Amino acid sequence: MSDESPAAADGMLVDQRGLTSRSHRGAASSPAVVATSTVLRQLYSLVQRYFPQILVAGIALSILFVYTTGGLTLMGEQIKNALVLGAIYALVAIGYTMVYGIIELINFAHGDVFALSSFYALIIATSFGGFVNSLATGSGIGLLVALVILFVTTMAAAGFTGMAIERVAYRRLRDAPRLAPLITAIGVSFLLEGFMLVKFGADNVPTKNDLWITGTALTLGKVSIAWTDLFVFATAVALMFTLGAFVRITTLGKAMRATAQDRNASLLCGINVNRTISATFFIGSALAAAGGIVYSLNYHSIQWSLGYRLGIIAFTAAVLGGIGNIVGAGIGGFVIGIIYVFGGQLAGGEWSDSLIFAILVIILTFRPTGLFGVDVTTRA
Amino acid sequence: MALIEVESMVKRFGGLMAVNDVSFVIDTREIVSMIGPNGAGKTTAFNCVTGLYPMTSGAVRFDGHIITGQPPHRITRLGIARTFQNIRLFSFMTALDNVMVGAHWWMSARVWDSVVKSPRARADEKRVEARARDLLEQLGLTRYAGSYARELPYGLQRRLEIARALATQPRVLLLDEPAAGLNPQEKKELMALISRLRDEGLTIFLIEHDMRVVMEISDRIVVLDHGVKITEGKPAEVRSNPQVIEAYLGQGAAERMVDA
Amino acid sequence: MILSKRMLPILGVVGIAALSACGTSTTTPSSSGGGGSSLASCQGSITVATDLPLTGGDATDGPPVEKAAHLAVTQANANKVLGGCTLKYVSKDDATVLKNGHDPAQGAANFTALSSDQSVVGVVGPFNSSVAVAEIPVASQNHLAMISPANTNPGLTQVGTNPDVNTTSLYPGAKTYFRVIGTDITQGQILSYVATKELNFTKAYSIDDQETYGKGLSTFFQKYFAADGGTIVGTASLPGTTKDFHTQVADAQSKGAQVIFFGGTSGNGCGILRSQMPASLPELGGDGCQDNKFISDAGSNALGSQVTSAPDASKLTTATQFYTDFKSTYNEDGTESPYTPYGFDAMNALIQAIKAVIVANHDQPPSDSQTFRDAVVAQLHQISYSGATGTVAFDANGDTTHAGFSLYTINGTKWAPKELLTADATGKVTVAG
Repeated sequence: MSDESPAAADGMLVDQRGLTSRSHRGAASSPAVVATSTVLRQLYSLVQRYFPQILVAGIALSILFVYTTGGLTLMGEQIKNALVLGAIYALVAIGYTMVYGIIELINFAHGDVFALSSFYALIIATSFGGFVNSLATGSGIGLLVALVILFVTTMAAAGFTGMAIERVAYRRLRDAPRLAPLITAIGVSFLLEGFMLVKFGADNVPTKNDLWITGTALTLGKVSIAWTDLFVFATAVALMFTLGAFVRITTLGKAMRATAQDRNASLLCGINVNRTISATFFIGSALAAAGGIVYSLNYHSIQWSLGYRLGIIAFTAAVLGGIGNIVGAGIGGFVIGIIYVFGGQLAGGEWSDSLIFAILVIILTFRPTGLFGVDVTTRA
Repeated sequence: MALIEVESMVKRFGGLMAVNDVSFVIDTREIVSMIGPNGAGKTTAFNCVTGLYPMTSGAVRFDGHIITGQPPHRITRLGIARTFQNIRLFSFMTALDNVMVGAHWWMSARVWDSVVKSPRARADEKRVEARARDLLEQLGLTRYAGSYARELPYGLQRRLEIARALATQPRVLLLDEPAAGLNPQEKKELMALISRLRDEGLTIFLIEHDMRVVMEISDRIVVLDHGVKITEGKPAEVRSNPQVIEAYLGQGAAERMVDA
Repeated sequence: MILSKRMLPILGVVGIAALSACGTSTTTPSSSGGGGSSLASCQGSITVATDLPLTGGDATDGPPVEKAAHLAVTQANANKVLGGCTLKYVSKDDATVLKNGHDPAQGAANFTALSSDQSVVGVVGPFNSSVAVAEIPVASQNHLAMISPANTNPGLTQVGTNPDVNTTSLYPGAKTYFRVIGTDITQGQILSYVATKELNFTKAYSIDDQETYGKGLSTFFQKYFAADGGTIVGTASLPGTTKDFHTQVADAQSKGAQVIFFGGTSGNGCGILRSQMPASLPELGGDGCQDNKFISDAGSNALGSQVTSAPDASKLTTATQFYTDFKSTYNEDGTESPYTPYGFDAMNALIQAIKAVIVANHDQPPSDSQTFRDAVVAQLHQISYSGATGTVAFDANGDTTHAGFSLYTINGTKWAPKELLTADATGKVTVAG
């Protein structure tokens, strides 16, 4: 962790590159080549400096383009779709960003924890002889109670799963070379996928709670927004900001931030670093579980392989938001949702995935700190 | 009476004996300095005392109890705090938050309380904050409470690190080169601070290269060279010890000795 | 060119075998049951196989067809169709965990293994067109007859019908591929007929799953829908891993689509798409959607979907015996998948061809396996066998001569046949019943 502000570090990087490449190439290359490379270099630094502006402008233009070609209703429908999809990405992205922030590990198993949680939700929704399910479909208050039961138990179960993964697969490798825990992370990912495949089968598994929340909440123009859409979005935003505040204000949150910034110094401030890291995994996994629950409420089937692709997309969201930054990951999730949906609308759905990963490559090459850099207020 | 007893401490890194059979004792309310050329094993010894490194063999007693093998955070909670040679503050936190992190462990509230913000947690939070502000004031950092640690001038960062260490309510304070990079005025203030802390009942154990500081404030000095303790004693004794001079001459540091 | 020159002598042998077989097959009645006494002296064991997706996401597709084919072998052995010779049955699974279902690479590996087993003379399979693309060249090079009970992509047999399949290069050797189901050209014509003439839609949105089958069917639907006076308002081609179709549904609605057509399989999202569509917007699909997975994926939204699939045989008198036998053997109806009786007929056609070869070879299986295989292929080109689903016969391309598809709708929680449609050579669709 550098003590310099990201902006200053970026600035230096650009200056140095400019100097060295000029002195190296100047003598040997023809004037045309020099001119081209100068233009490219300027373009490069422009993209680097104005990356957020370029991204926002691109998104705004896409939305505008959809509006002019498809009309207001289509634009509204797609914004709704983007926000719902983005909410799920956001919830999963936060776990990636927290874990990376604290132990600098890309927790590849995180996407699978998300998928596993959706199965936990299924089990809980159908357990006790369908008690929770009948409660939810019985009355409004029943639904509220059922949702509380579902969220609390599923998030706790997923949280403990995440803690167990850290304890078993990552803790002993904490001071090992970076590659070692990365490989065990991939191993844990496959292990979880295999477990789900054997336990729940290869087929799409219908969720039992997709009929808990039904009906249209409101209609804006011709865009009808279902209660589920609203619920998914609100859950994500609420959890995102609650967590942001939690990390900023509470004891545990401060311990997390301290551990993320300097593990040894934290130890010598009396912080139980192991427990703090466990708590980070618990919270990250619990948020993925919230994502799994809203996924199962909104979509009608879940699959053992769900976490792999969604996990990578959510990871892209975390990188976009500036890895280590919780609110950044949340916002990154929504931005990715918008890119996915509007990219699909404009370029064709077959390009959606490619577009997301192109974004990943562009961020990593042009702006590794992401949109919000290492935000000072929320780094965890 | 002895507060810290280091008995035959050995720390080996592969084939390198970083600390080789070192023993010494630090009494309550004493200021003890550890000196020696670069690579003598001073910081390694610190790391072993605070539990960051597991020792190869030997034992450390704190207040009569063996603390060897305990995890670092537990050792801190027993009452041993330290600062680092290269300042290791939480740069992306405010000065106040840095100090509060140090004070957190002795809060009685559990995780659950802090999640739901129970009255107990809130009372704790208030207590910790009051204590942290008090420490900032003692160290003359009050007006920087809201600044990010990385924005503080170097000298103040050193002080903030001491404030954070003090927040853990230590009985012994380990300072790793606290005077490094300070100007003469700041060094003077540092020495005053160390004396004051001792007067308030703290035991101080420090590593320092600046001989003027060492000779002026230390009650006793332990000298390490190549992982071995070559001597220990009062400043005047150490200053005239030929072994010490030789160890330093090798490093071209004799002038500093003469200076001092 | 070089290839075909090298093949000439082989083709010659095939021709002779075919001619001789032709002469004798007319003497034996081409019906099942009753081992001819002339084959009593036949000695040896002949292996037939199936290659179908049995596990993973396709676990609802392959198994009933495999069971039906297995039943045909069991019955043939019990009835001594080959007299003193016995049939050995081998079942191959072309699904892998990696693909969570049918896997072309696995299919090709299965065919390589089957080809190298000299006792194998014919295979029933595969189920999926993408798998067929990988398997046909292996079978062709090894002279091995294969009869698919379910492939519908026309590019597998007809040159120039599918831009994504180079039909000529599929056959480095002889044409050993046959199928008992019509092609997607016919299916596309019928689907377009249903959409434009029966449902009176003029605007459709088409989505495919990027696979050989789905993309092909979608292309033909679009082509004939436009020819029938409709407008394709939009298209999308999405990978089979897609779980979110909201973007495309919103796009379709904004463009005024009256129906969304899905070219692809249930495993690739046919039912998931349905679950994300408004109930008021209908979905139309092909045979890849006609299974229980669709119904479970679509959930409460399953109603309002219409798909075409293999002609329904469950009401045919010729199939009564098959369904009775299937039920008594496996304790299952066998009506879940319309393809089930086609697995039975495909295997029986293969057995009849083997029988004809043995008869023509003086009641003994040809000792040379390549000669045997070539002769079986030649016999299949000639065959006219009355099976459970009707007459099984193939044209020069290996395609069935009785192409038709049934339209199915969801009745309660099950697919139910609504009507049978056929298309003639000019593409004119008629409701056959």
